[in-house]
Amino acid sequence: MMSGTVLINCSPKRRLSASGFLARCAAGLIRGEKRVLQLRTPADHPAILEAIRTAEKVVFVTPLYVDSLPSHVLPFMQKMEACCRENRLRLKVYAIANNGFIEGRQNEPLMRVMENFCARSGLTWCGGLGIGGGVMLNVERIMLTVLLGLTALNVVLRAAQGESPWEPLRSFAVSAGELLLLACGIIALMLRLAYHVNRGTDAGKRYTRIMVPSFLFILFADIFFTVVSVLQGGIFRGWLSRLKPTGGCEPAVSGKQ
Amino acid sequence: MKAIIHDLGTEQNMRLRAAADLVICADGRYAPCQGCFRCWTRHPAACVLKDELREVCRVLGMCEDMTVVTANLYGGYSPAVKNLLDRSIGLSTPLSTYRGGQMHHTLRYGRKGRFHVIAYGTFTEAEKQALRLMAESNAVNMGFREHSVAFCADAEEAGGQA
Ligand SMILES: Cc1cc2nc3c(=O)[nH]c(=O)nc-3n(C[C@H](O)[C@H](O)[C@H](O)COP(=O)(O)O)c2cc1C
Repeated sequence: MMSGTVLINCSPKRRLSASGFLARCAAGLIRGEKRVLQLRTPADHPAILEAIRTAEKVVFVTPLYVDSLPSHVLPFMQKMEACCRENRLRLKVYAIANNGFIEGRQNEPLMRVMENFCARSGLTWCGGLGIGGGVMLNVERIMLTVLLGLTALNVVLRAAQGESPWEPLRSFAVSAGELLLLACGIIALMLRLAYHVNRGTDAGKRYTRIMVPSFLFILFADIFFTVVSVLQGGIFRGWLSRLKPTGGCEPAVSGKQ
Repeated sequence: MKAIIHDLGTEQNMRLRAAADLVICADGRYAPCQGCFRCWTRHPAACVLKDELREVCRVLGMCEDMTVVTANLYGGYSPAVKNLLDRSIGLSTPLSTYRGGQMHHTLRYGRKGRFHVIAYGTFTEAEKQALRLMAESNAVNMGFREHSVAFCADAEEAGGQA
């Protein structure tokens, strides 16, 4: 008897990926047996293929890389296609994609690839969710976790001094509320997707984003990358320049001389 | 300058050299992108992975036109070709702007000419449509003014068209 859901986290990042976060959120909303598995290297393939053989549904949770799936996911999909055809697996496939830019719609080419993959593999494509502003979502949820820790500490220290814990709690609630507001589209559509996964029905394709106007989002993104680039030093190493190949590490390229 | 990125193997690689200033054979030996963005924030336009693709974006940046020859995979590119594109995002900078009515990164090497995709293999109609959308999206993303897609039956024919 086939049952259960396998969620595949397709981010190459070991920790703190947006996809990992979204996969855990989705898993929390999905009923029945479920597993979140990470797909980073070919060494991860056997365990995932093993898991999907007895599953009923698979959810790909992935970042968008250059308008499609990250390259390391593609060989896995080829293996999965072969495995599904060989064993006549009839899985239902869903996708949750997140991208850096604000428009969730930029995930459309990726969704088409997923749909074509299902067609070739004899699987049922049940639709997906494309989320714009994934980096911001990820930064926000990490900051909120840190803030939660600081708030807890603050409350304990205040309690020890006999002070009221309301002030730090109130300011945490405001921050959390802001994040929930920014993510309201994502939350609503994640709930909707989970509802369809639970029923095994077609969710269709939906796109959403962090609820910030794009010009503001661009401003935040520019500030974010500027700060990171100052900290990591890239800003002093030809940050925006037309850097030329150093020759020290020429790629395997060739051409007419 | 024109660049060709292809997954046709070494034999065709020799022949293609005559057709372009720069030919890159995506042979699937390279490690995939790790998603760290250090090619923007730590050592611009150079990858943390110290293999031969480390500065591939700098080499591609010198080219005006780009032709991608790839096996069709679900209406997208082959793993080897896609790997090369993922490893090339240093072509743009970490700063953002609007291009084609959507948010995109500003271009380290400026606007470019034509992005041409030659896909080979068998295709469903949906895969052809997906490849057209993929080429269009990539062209805007990477700052090309024009894009086009050709479909070929096999690698031989695709190599001949490049
Ligand atoms: C190589 C590479 C290519 C990317 N290409 C795009 C892109 O074409 N469009 C986009 O909106 N975001 C793009 N991004 C941004 C990622 O989608 C974004 O960082 C995402 O939140 C990463 O998710 P993760 O934390 O689950 O890995 C790219 C990132 C990398 C590393």
